[in-house]
Amino acid sequence: MISSGIIGIDEMLGGGIPNGSWVLYSMEPGVDGQLFMISTLFSALKKGLSCLVVLPHTTFDVFKHDAAVKRGCSLEIFKKKVVYLDAADRERIQKSSKKPKEMQKKWEARIEKICNEHAVDVVFFYIDLLYDDLGLQGALSVANSAKTTSKTTVLVEHLNLEGRHSIDRFMRNYSFDLIISISSAFRSQPHFDYFTLLHTSWWPVPKRSVPFITTEGKVVPYIPKIVVTGPAHSGKSTFVTNASDFGVSIDRRDMKGDPTTVAMDFGWLHWKDFDITLYGTPGQARFDPVVPNLLNHAMGAVLLIDATKPQALERALHHVQLIREKRLPMVVAANKADLAGAMTDDEIRRYLKLPKDVPVFFISATRKTDVRFVLESLVDFISKAKY
Amino acid sequence: MYNFKSGLAQIDTVTAGFEAGTNFLVLAPPMSFAEELAYFFTKPLPGEYAVILSTNDRASEVIDAFKIMGVDKRYVGTIDAITKSSTPGIVDTNRLMFVASPTDLTGIGIKFSKMVELIFDGEFSDGEAGLFPPPVRFCVNSVSTLLMYRKLEVLYQFMHVLTSKLKKIDGVGFYLLNKESFDDKTISLIKQLMNGVIEVKIEQNTHYMRIQGMKGVSSEWLKFSIQKGQLVIGP
Repeated sequence: MISSGIIGIDEMLGGGIPNGSWVLYSMEPGVDGQLFMISTLFSALKKGLSCLVVLPHTTFDVFKHDAAVKRGCSLEIFKKKVVYLDAADRERIQKSSKKPKEMQKKWEARIEKICNEHAVDVVFFYIDLLYDDLGLQGALSVANSAKTTSKTTVLVEHLNLEGRHSIDRFMRNYSFDLIISISSAFRSQPHFDYFTLLHTSWWPVPKRSVPFITTEGKVVPYIPKIVVTGPAHSGKSTFVTNASDFGVSIDRRDMKGDPTTVAMDFGWLHWKDFDITLYGTPGQARFDPVVPNLLNHAMGAVLLIDATKPQALERALHHVQLIREKRLPMVVAANKADLAGAMTDDEIRRYLKLPKDVPVFFISATRKTDVRFVLESLVDFISKAKY
Repeated sequence: MYNFKSGLAQIDTVTAGFEAGTNFLVLAPPMSFAEELAYFFTKPLPGEYAVILSTNDRASEVIDAFKIMGVDKRYVGTIDAITKSSTPGIVDTNRLMFVASPTDLTGIGIKFSKMVELIFDGEFSDGEAGLFPPPVRFCVNSVSTLLMYRKLEVLYQFMHVLTSKLKKIDGVGFYLLNKESFDDKTISLIKQLMNGVIEVKIEQNTHYMRIQGMKGVSSEWLKFSIQKGQLVIGP
């Protein structure tokens, strides 16, 4: 396996990109997605793999400076096993060939020679100018010529100017093992980028779009909203606080003098390369009209119940229905499971009418490890669930 | 709807200026002051911003040209497709960004989006905010150079994306094209992406311009000259 260089994506891919894969990073114009290919390149170089970079649009000198700036690191990494073909090679090939077919043959011959001489493991191919020179078929044939062994992995970066039509053509006519499209919701404000896993040949990943941000030289998949909901006093504020690197809770004392959430809890955490924002809902029935709004645009929900309070399950069932209406991936966390009289998995499932694929975790919301485990499972669920 | 003053009475008195979300082709023969003319229309007025994609001049030369027009350089951003090939280590700033070469449409697209984002986020002009939403004037100098490096079909698609984005942000765009270097098919294809054409011709050493496609604005040829960055009409 080769790491994509983005742990969140590796998780979604079942560990990374298998050796010998044929990969496409398709970028919409204007989206800052060059870091995807660069992250994979850096990851391959760090692993000590022999890499070939084909960049007909620029010189290798410019490329390596750009890549180092984007990654926020020094040029040191390029002292590893990397060879390249760049704009100067394109010029030489153009000068010595009159027809596209001749050019194509020369590219293929050069790439094959380099791959054999340097025992290249991974090829990073910037296809756009060759697309101009040779057409799509010709350019992909050149890229494919790098597959000198069954274990050579070839990654292609492509500027997608034709939108969905172009992606469909890649999926239909060329046998890519992995296609990731990188897009941008270009609006004046807010502006956000997202990637979509469109196809994997080795791992059943459903089509999934995930927003991302680039920060400190890394692509960070971003889950903008996970909602933690459930009946009052089930431990939601404790859960959000213990899950978060940073968070706030808006509480007041109730009639008994215990703190109760009257607006919502907020939390932020960075986990396994994902940036996640948590919203905890208030649990009191008088706040029910607020909950559907908080569930709007969420990517997943944690239903928190008190495992020692079967009488609160009726309220929990109401929350399950709200989550179902929004068709959100959900996990159930049964809090206080370490106390006497905690309900069983069967009892909870039966009362809440939970389908088999919704996991129920028995936790203590005061234990960070328990809380993180629930979130880990939900993120896993979000990145793999079918909506 | 915001209107971008053109600085030309023939336009501003009739239409209040260029409408937000419009794109204009500046179609001209070589050495016809077309670049100066395009820069004049791109010049940001107080509260506005300008972004120039330069495939012919270095960023420093672009900034100098705007300084001559009396523009505060904090409101001008340049995407320079020239300098990086000779100075690979050059680093982007908020207002000066560099792409590998005019062939690098991926880089151009990214830098354009980044610059617009910085303008909208108020991080472009050292804390000196202009109007909001920010009115952005955009100039490509030149489409001719881009066409020399990329296939017409590809460039057409790229320009389609670029002009659409400018429309979305309610900006105004000016795109320079040398009318003597390309055939009619090329010119008419590029024209399809535009809302109007500012055409330039030279006759007996005199420069003329006309504006087509702006409702109410006469498309008569006007004598013009550029003096210290200012557009002078007639005599």
